[in-house]
Amino acid sequence: MPELRKDPILGRWVIIATERLKRPFDYSFAKEKEPPASIAGCPFCEGNEALTSREIYALRKKGTKPNTPGWQVRVVPSVSPFLSEKGDLDRHGKGVYDLMNGIGAHEIVIATPRHDAGPFIRDISQIERFTEVIIKRMREIKKDQRLKYVLLFKNHGTSAGGSTIRHQHFQLIATPVTPKRVKEELVGAKCYFDYKDRCIFCDMIRQELVEKQRVCLRLDGFVAINPYCSRFPFETWILPMKHSCDFDRMSKEEIKNFAKILHLTLGKLARTLGDFPYNMILHTAPFRRRKKKGYWETIEGDYHWHVEIMPRLTQVAGFEWGSGFYINPTTPEDACRYLKEANNVTA
Amino acid sequence: MSQLRRDPITGRWIIVNYEKIIKPNEFSFEKIVKSKDTAKCPFCPGNEKLTPPEIVAHRNAGLPNTPGWTIRVVPNKFPALESKGDLEKRGLGVFDRMNGVGTHEVIIDIPEHARDVADISDEQAEEIIRSYVSRSNDLKKDPRFKYILIFRNYGKSAGASLEHPHSQLIALPIVPKRVNEELHSAQEYFNYKDRCVFCDILIQELGDKERIVAENEHFLCFAPFVSRFPYEMWIMPKKHESNFDNLGKEEVKPLGLILRDSLRKLKKLLNDPPYNYIIHTSPINGHEKDFYHWHMEIMPKLQNVAGFEWGSGFYVNPIPPELAAKNLAE
Repeated sequence: MPELRKDPILGRWVIIATERLKRPFDYSFAKEKEPPASIAGCPFCEGNEALTSREIYALRKKGTKPNTPGWQVRVVPSVSPFLSEKGDLDRHGKGVYDLMNGIGAHEIVIATPRHDAGPFIRDISQIERFTEVIIKRMREIKKDQRLKYVLLFKNHGTSAGGSTIRHQHFQLIATPVTPKRVKEELVGAKCYFDYKDRCIFCDMIRQELVEKQRVCLRLDGFVAINPYCSRFPFETWILPMKHSCDFDRMSKEEIKNFAKILHLTLGKLARTLGDFPYNMILHTAPFRRRKKKGYWETIEGDYHWHVEIMPRLTQVAGFEWGSGFYINPTTPEDACRYLKEANNVTA
Repeated sequence: MSQLRRDPITGRWIIVNYEKIIKPNEFSFEKIVKSKDTAKCPFCPGNEKLTPPEIVAHRNAGLPNTPGWTIRVVPNKFPALESKGDLEKRGLGVFDRMNGVGTHEVIIDIPEHARDVADISDEQAEEIIRSYVSRSNDLKKDPRFKYILIFRNYGKSAGASLEHPHSQLIALPIVPKRVNEELHSAQEYFNYKDRCVFCDILIQELGDKERIVAENEHFLCFAPFVSRFPYEMWIMPKKHESNFDNLGKEEVKPLGLILRDSLRKLKKLLNDPPYNYIIHTSPINGHEKDFYHWHMEIMPKLQNVAGFEWGSGFYVNPIPPELAAKNLAE
């Protein structure tokens, strides 16, 4: 009998399709091979700095000049930004419709100078470095009063909407309105907090640690779980055990541990699924702008930042679009078992 | 400068990217290739034994589960939901669960393997709509069901697992989240303005004219002002009606024709792209009569939804809907 599971934060239902359960090797996805020409002309490789727009920021060796080799993490504007930094919002209406100018920021964080094209970065200290750079950029973007949210994400593989450039990179997109999905999650978490005076994510972590069957990794203040209501097969979340709503307030020690668990989790997924297409999205609290009554009063207590890794092994089709239901053909408990058993890829 | 547009129904924002407009022939999507060998296709006439026994079929002559049909409705062999049993709702700590009770039917609405809705005759187009209405009316009698979702996935990358054209119908024990969101917002608009938001959209689109793709006496097909996807189209009845099941006799054929013609335009312009279409209607025995307005959404699958869309609920559309409508209408 298929099982319907309800996400306690969003109220989204997921169908665990027990009639067509799938194991890791039952999924087929397009194997991707990068054409050699694009490796030679990769704009994100060290030495090819001239192929990108001028850098916004780079973590680089002392004495090296901007837009030259010698960097470890480099941030550049997107070549095809769909939000621009110049101008005003100019909000207006047109009959029943509302519109405004596309103001915002769209930056690319090149995570490594090397053309490391696998599903994850093998060097933990490099993960630490780019996490630090991302935090620095997020804090900087926050200063622009026109913006309300910055979304950090990574698309890996073209079937996950990723670029054909496989060189490891993240994207930062800042928007002038709080995005709908973010708002839904914030509202869901706040409702729970208003009702129980506790953080729903903390409650979830506690329950998962007792039940154990969906915890694929736990170390140094972080936990990786396959959520009870996983929309996608092998969906994995990374959460800090210590309650905190802002990703950009991690301490140096926490950044180090975050890098470690991110590395190990992606390693386990890669061991289980191969070079799998995925989206990785950071969920963190928005910029607290207006002190409107009732706004952000409890956010420090009700929200809990986390990272969601969504392997894209199945196609989203008419049913999902029409209903907001997701059909997941691998139970999170099975996914967790496979991931626990996966030996870690050596660093 | 790109433009942010807000959907008056769901509050969803989209970004229309004027900086990098993609030409119709510049999209790269997985080409739809249909194999010549249909001997093992469970939906082809002659292979009726390869599906579970039919629920209902439109046929002029012959016995059930034999050839001679024009439309055949069968249970899904791998249903996402099962029709037997009770819901058994219960909690597990912070989580809630229930049994996956529901119905999952496949409507084999085109006997010819190689065709799609774009290629069928007037009569076939009409018959597809008639089958949707009659299945809905039959299933809404089951008191366990709260919502009926009818949709089509065309092409592998749009989620079609079999090549042979078909629609699907899923009857659900709860009203799905997306539908609830739409209903909720439509109700708020109605509370505020005492008018249906969809009727307002219809009037504005008929006045603005720049987003119209096709029109007949009963229906309008347009590229919505807030299109999430390039070449997205909505088909809306001109007469206010909340539930698809109440489709008038005189509306069946015009709906079939405008659906077929719109898909024909899409096929011709973009060279047979994958797509999904979905019927948005009110729940069974709902109270949405005044403020909801059923419609169909056609969503071509020309690009992949990625991290930004998943994380934000924003959609980036590289084709201004005005241009999409112009290209399609030609």
